[in-house]
Amino acid sequence: MLTAERGPRALWRRRRGVVYMALALLMFPFVISLLVDGQGIASVWNNDLGNARFLQGLAIEVFILGLFAISYDLLLGVAGIISFGHAMFFAVGAYGFGIMLKSFELHWVIALLLVGVLAVLQALLFAILLPRVKGLTFALVTLGIAAVFWIVISSSDLAQWAGAEIGLQGVETPVWFLDTTNHRFVFYLLVAAIMLGVYVLYTKIADSPMGRVLVSVRENEDRSLMLGYNTFWFKTAALIVSSLTAALAGVLHTMHQPIVTPNVAGLTFAITVLLMVLIGGAGTISGALVGAAVYRLLNFYLDKWFGGASGLLVGLVFVLLVLYLPYGIVGTWRVKKAGIKEGRARLRRMFERALSRS
Amino acid sequence: MSLLDLHDVHTFIGKFHILEGVSVEVPQGSVVALLGRNGAGKTTTLKTILGLTPASSGRVVFDGDDIVEMRSFDIAAMGIGYVPEHRAIFADLSVEENLRIAERRKGDLERREELIFGLFPDLKRLIGLPGTSLSGGQQQMLAVARALVPENRLLLIDEPSEGLAPVLIEQMIEAIARLSDTTTVLLVEQNFLVASRLGTTYVIIEEGRSVKTGDMTDLVDDDETIQRYLGV
Repeated sequence: MLTAERGPRALWRRRRGVVYMALALLMFPFVISLLVDGQGIASVWNNDLGNARFLQGLAIEVFILGLFAISYDLLLGVAGIISFGHAMFFAVGAYGFGIMLKSFELHWVIALLLVGVLAVLQALLFAILLPRVKGLTFALVTLGIAAVFWIVISSSDLAQWAGAEIGLQGVETPVWFLDTTNHRFVFYLLVAAIMLGVYVLYTKIADSPMGRVLVSVRENEDRSLMLGYNTFWFKTAALIVSSLTAALAGVLHTMHQPIVTPNVAGLTFAITVLLMVLIGGAGTISGALVGAAVYRLLNFYLDKWFGGASGLLVGLVFVLLVLYLPYGIVGTWRVKKAGIKEGRARLRRMFERALSRS
Repeated sequence: MSLLDLHDVHTFIGKFHILEGVSVEVPQGSVVALLGRNGAGKTTTLKTILGLTPASSGRVVFDGDDIVEMRSFDIAAMGIGYVPEHRAIFADLSVEENLRIAERRKGDLERREELIFGLFPDLKRLIGLPGTSLSGGQQQMLAVARALVPENRLLLIDEPSEGLAPVLIEQMIEAIARLSDTTTVLLVEQNFLVASRLGTTYVIIEEGRSVKTGDMTDLVDDDETIQRYLGV
């Protein structure tokens, strides 16, 4: 009675959503090609210009933002750690990978491994802070560290590597399956597979004993200490996993975009990731992916339809979503009711706890 | 020999001198009741034992080891279970997860299943529910049950009867009485009737000092002491 259901049927029930999602993403370019472009399915393979190719590009952006958002949900939603420096986690992957390929001409596998090392190091840097500055102070110190990183990466002294304010450009694609220009469909499938794989991994973490300890830390760290847990190591582990994921998102970003601008290290991007998590529902894991999709698509279509006024509209939609859907989209779906009052109280508690921890 | 021995413990919270000399002896197999008025320092005494508010001076000896300098999670892992006041469960975890998280070795819950559900049969029925959907009494049961999952040698229980309906208080007394057959207990309790039925010995704390100690049977007849230290 005390053990969860096992066996292939239970596994199917738990994971069928991922399978349906994978099938839908696989078929998506073909459907667009057939119905919208009026072309055969071969044009997807042939990498022909058209809506199918363009929308794959947009979807890749959503997947990359989804990876970034999911990495933030592990910190904010699961462990209750509020960092305002999360953009740096992404930017270290984006710039690190690009510079290693372009300026140091490293093999892409070695560059990827080195990015992994950098990601662990920056996670450890944040972890060192954890016992020293708590709550709001931690959030502000991470903001400061990320600001320093932004200044460094956009400084003209480092222009020959990072391209100063213009950004890093001219990174050559090291291998065919990372080629978003000539093998769009393959790259699309790769990024989608990575996103779904990371999603499965994160739900496994959230369901594991480690995930339960992280939730207990979020709720009341003293109580988890009293159960005999060295909570510092659990938070450090969460930071490392989160940092690796965000850096991987950054690497994919560098492969997908012609230019990596310093914006990816900026405060706006750190706020973006917070918004995506809140829109989807903090602590729900899948909500981060939904939030990323809503954020990117809303941005794109409002910009297309309303041009310059879109920023205002996007902001308005976010304010309304957080005010009237405080559990987020997935969170509301789970509680089966849009309890605005309870949801707001939960949000407030979450931030108060995380920011006032002493 | 005592399982736990506090000797002249002083504790500061910030710059406030909260404990100004607390000595408590908890013999193996006993139930010691910490008594005293609100704000006397009873809860702080428990937190000092656990290293949450570490002692600035004095000795805290558990099973022969001085634990004053140790970290909270290491102290807990020595076999000290803590039931905090105010139904301190994890609201975002289910009943089973609340119990499972207290395991120190895999399978602790299965090993203690019989004991726990014997004491609190209600919890078995509620096992899959989220912590938030439990009533106050059920949350309190869960908080006590959680401390029973690993094999603790000492339980620190803070205000188990607080805010419970009389019938639930009876159930709680019964449960603590039964678990005290196998485990040593240090109990903080405002409700003297509850404390007197459970405690074998008592320690009265007033303004951060332990002022009186003795057998519970003697205290029950000592109206003067009760009036002086515990009366309102």
